[in-house]
Amino acid sequence: MKAYFFKRLIAMFITLWLIITGTFFLMHSVPGSPFNEERTTNEAIQKNLEAYYQLDKPLIVQYGNYLKALVKFDLGPSIKKSSQTVNDMLGRGFPVSFELGMYTLIVALISGLILGVVAALRHNGIIDYLAMSIAVLGISIPNFVMATVLIQQLAVNLPIFPVATWSSPQHMVLPILALATGPMAIIARLTRTSMLEVLTQDYIKTAKAKGLSPVKIVFKHALRNALLPVVTVLGSLAASILTGTFVIEKIFAIPGMGKYFVDSINNRDYPVIMGTTVFYSAILIFMLLLVDIAYGVLDPRIKLHKKEAK
Amino acid sequence: MKKLTVLLVAVMMMFALAACTANKDAGSEKKDDGKGKSEEKKVEKVLNLNNGQEPTSFDPPIGFDAVSWNSLNNLMEGLTRLDETHQPKEATAEKWDVSADGKTYTFHIRDNAKWSNGDDVTADDFVFAWKRLLDPNTSSPAAFLAYFIEGGEAYNTGAGSADDVKVKAVDKKTFEVTLISPQAYFLSVISNPCFFPINEKVAKENPKWFAEANTFVANGPYKLAEWNHDSDFTMVKNDKYWDTKNVKIDKVHWAMVDDPTTEYQMYTTGELDTSDVPSEMAEKLFKDGDVKVEDQAGEYFYRFNVTKAPFQNENIRKAFALAVDQKQMVELVTKNQEKPAYGFVSYGFKDPEGNDFREKSGDLIKTDVAKAKELLKKGMEEEKYTKLPEVTLTYSTSDQHKKIAEALQQMFKENLGVDVKLANMESSVFATDQKALKFQFSRSSFLADYADPINFLENFITGSPMNRTGWSNKEFDQLIKDAKLEKDEKKRYEMMYKAEKILLDAAPIVPIHFYNQVYLQNKNVTGIVRHPVGYLELKGADKK
Repeated sequence: MKAYFFKRLIAMFITLWLIITGTFFLMHSVPGSPFNEERTTNEAIQKNLEAYYQLDKPLIVQYGNYLKALVKFDLGPSIKKSSQTVNDMLGRGFPVSFELGMYTLIVALISGLILGVVAALRHNGIIDYLAMSIAVLGISIPNFVMATVLIQQLAVNLPIFPVATWSSPQHMVLPILALATGPMAIIARLTRTSMLEVLTQDYIKTAKAKGLSPVKIVFKHALRNALLPVVTVLGSLAASILTGTFVIEKIFAIPGMGKYFVDSINNRDYPVIMGTTVFYSAILIFMLLLVDIAYGVLDPRIKLHKKEAK
Repeated sequence: MKKLTVLLVAVMMMFALAACTANKDAGSEKKDDGKGKSEEKKVEKVLNLNNGQEPTSFDPPIGFDAVSWNSLNNLMEGLTRLDETHQPKEATAEKWDVSADGKTYTFHIRDNAKWSNGDDVTADDFVFAWKRLLDPNTSSPAAFLAYFIEGGEAYNTGAGSADDVKVKAVDKKTFEVTLISPQAYFLSVISNPCFFPINEKVAKENPKWFAEANTFVANGPYKLAEWNHDSDFTMVKNDKYWDTKNVKIDKVHWAMVDDPTTEYQMYTTGELDTSDVPSEMAEKLFKDGDVKVEDQAGEYFYRFNVTKAPFQNENIRKAFALAVDQKQMVELVTKNQEKPAYGFVSYGFKDPEGNDFREKSGDLIKTDVAKAKELLKKGMEEEKYTKLPEVTLTYSTSDQHKKIAEALQQMFKENLGVDVKLANMESSVFATDQKALKFQFSRSSFLADYADPINFLENFITGSPMNRTGWSNKEFDQLIKDAKLEKDEKKRYEMMYKAEKILLDAAPIVPIHFYNQVYLQNKNVTGIVRHPVGYLELKGADKK
């Protein structure tokens, strides 16, 4: 097990390094510069700015400097918001996005599982159709449409919740709902499909024959196996939801880190592009590791260290 | 496996409970909120505004944009401040003397001009701030505004030193500055945030004093009380401000809502006191008469590239320019009540006789389809074209630009019988390529940095980074140069009238429309001033 983790860790670092290198050179090969705006600054000032952010050095030197700083977890200054560092920005934005993402995941997971399980148990019944229509709606309505509808109905027409911003629990309700519908629908459909498959298996019949209660059959025998595909998607889903979503955060004016992903590219704010990419990749890689571990827990037949076992 | 079941049930119950309590909270606190607000109103006047985004920087010479300076303009104050009629008035300086040659200004700073930490605002604070603005190491994008000062340009471009910049503190409260030439608009330029003083003592102790609310020292009508980065910030009345008795608002809360629809929805629920007009709602809101419209000194226009065929030919350029119907453009396409533009300098600048520059200069290039056709024919003969080289119109990707580009395409087809191709690209790439003269015909805009027609016209002198047309005219260059040195206002305006005529006669540009500021505002709020050139003014704001 230890050897397995060690191997995984090394692989993770290599992956991360490849992503960093790829992003770094790709981003510099895109035309445009952080100082190109409609309004022009004179050449002397532009040169000063470039020198300040070391953009006048050869690319390979910049790359080396970036890696050196990164080892010390220094992601550098933002070019557009010169009084802030990328560490500051992520340090402030991530907790907010994480909070929103965590609640969203909980809501999506619980409601998705319930919908999926119920639909599978009442296969081809009215409840199944109802649950699946909810799921189809959830998948096909983009979250920004959902967000706008929720705001218009539950904040403007019926003033139950505040329209936007992020300062109290009731401010969180609408963004969580808007953000959770998509993942909920995905989870519901996956759960239903794999539950249906599991429920037709022989060991379920055996369990029924043994006289186990339906609740026990569903939770102990069926759901556990049916969860595997859900866990698989959950890894990448969690990584993207926890690191913030540009559209929802923009609509609800949530101070998360979602906007940095998009704004940094539009502004050619190189350190921020790198910072967000590195951060997101690290979280994604970590989530995938968690998923692999979860497989082992859910299904003892899956061995994480197969090779060693042989 | 029982454990798993129990766990699942427990989580579900927890969630159900949490949801219930959240809902209950939502109901009761909302009520409290409403009550709190009505009680507050009697004691405290709170203005709820939207800044859109996190300010780029509150360091005066750095945050060269509306998201930084609209608020900074109310936290700090320069020697002058623009009044409701957009004229510079005494602010930190209570009076000034101008030398006979019009080049040296001596400002007398108020005795009661104080920083929010109690320090005096001194002449040294201005010397420090202005030299810092010009310091090449500050890399201020606004530094060019201080090139009027003798020695300023040389220092900023690395050719001179800080000591050669002609700004000095005569004594603690007397500040003297020498300009390269008499500038009628100098007093208006220095109301700009990049000319704000900086508390030298504070800045030396903490070079990042502007980055957080607790270290920020203000000298304006308000001071910074709280700043949650990327979320919101709050300004409160500054009791150390020299004119604090005329500041009626106690607190200004700035949200950072970047989505125009959300902003509008917050305005409708009363969470914000002003809002922009979201484009999809514009028609209805204009019809309802809720929208306020104010001029903004700037223009939306198109640039020809005179180094690329077929636009090296003046007649072909003019043919295209005359084929554009600006009136139709603002009435049917942009629908934002902009004024159509038939010249380059915008409305709002008065010459010494009191005439508006735009009105007196008149319509220099106005839609005339018959003449456009004739000029196109003439131009093609001059260039010996049997067929017009293919023309591509390029714009930076955005819905608004696209609408206008498509309308132009239609107008060229209908009025000239020319098929123009459209191309668009992301704005950062677009800007680089436009500067490098890679386009034939491309979308442009200009917003004035200071309130004088010369600011518009100087863009098109040979070699200016804002020229971007390849157009060059010796007479025009000379007129701009002379106008900048001219002390007699009447003569100066004559030169500028002439220069604008030369520019539009050669037509390296096609004016489309002047910019305006459209917004919605709570009927209880008064006294917020939006200058055509300048930043939001809240000093005289009030709320019933």
